[in-house]
Amino acid sequence: MTIFGAIGIAGSGLDVHRKWLDAVSDNIANVNTVKSTSEDAFQARYVVAQEVTTGEGGVQVAGAVFGSKEGRLVYSPDDPLADEEGYVRMPDFDMESQMTQLIMAQRGYQANAAVIDRAKAEYEAALQIGRS
Amino acid sequence: MPDYAIGAVSAATPSFYVDALKGTAAEGGAITTSGASFDSVLSGVQGAGGVQLGRSAQGIGDVSSVGGIVDSLQGLQTKSADLAVRAVTGDLTDVHDYTIAAAEASTAMELTAAVRNKAVEAFNEILRMQA
Repeated sequence: MTIFGAIGIAGSGLDVHRKWLDAVSDNIANVNTVKSTSEDAFQARYVVAQEVTTGEGGVQVAGAVFGSKEGRLVYSPDDPLADEEGYVRMPDFDMESQMTQLIMAQRGYQANAAVIDRAKAEYEAALQIGRS
Repeated sequence: MPDYAIGAVSAATPSFYVDALKGTAAEGGAITTSGASFDSVLSGVQGAGGVQLGRSAQGIGDVSSVGGIVDSLQGLQTKSADLAVRAVTGDLTDVHDYTIAAAEASTAMELTAAVRNKAVEAFNEILRMQA
């Protein structure tokens, strides 16, 4: 936590949104990760955000939740990882939802950065009082 | 919501001015140039800023007043320099940590300068009083 409350709270928001962005980019990077049917599919990572109830407030990452292990069974007999029937496991999330989350994470990050800018300008305006 | 900075600065001027006058009156009425009256001016600032800034300034440890922010200026500058080094060497995962620390250090610096200016102004005003 920091001295200037609004800046500290927005800073915690930036932390959470940065971690969200990392999770989304990890998911998007692995959208085509093929696993054989004997292993678990690539599990999408979802960041759980939780409010901070002590002190001044803010947000923190409470943990990560993982998507389904079964994934989608895709028929792809030419794949070297395919089993006898020709199936492989693909991850069970879709690109559209991840792109939407990417936009939300980016806009959330920008919103928190705007809060910091405005809070700094506000504190500086307070310092201008009586300066003449 | 931490929006008490305006109240703090505007309230700081009249009350510490009065406190400074009380301080010099307590020292026998003579206007001295010793550090004692200056301290009373600064402690007046601390008292005035304490109520208003208390809500937003409960961050680092016992920082709970304008004087507390002035005291922690050194800590903020060090933290900002540390994070700058880490950002340049690539150890920093959250880039915004450095920019936030730099913004806070500069705002704390300006606050310290404003406190000093007001204190010096009040002091000079007292000096200009005719005997």
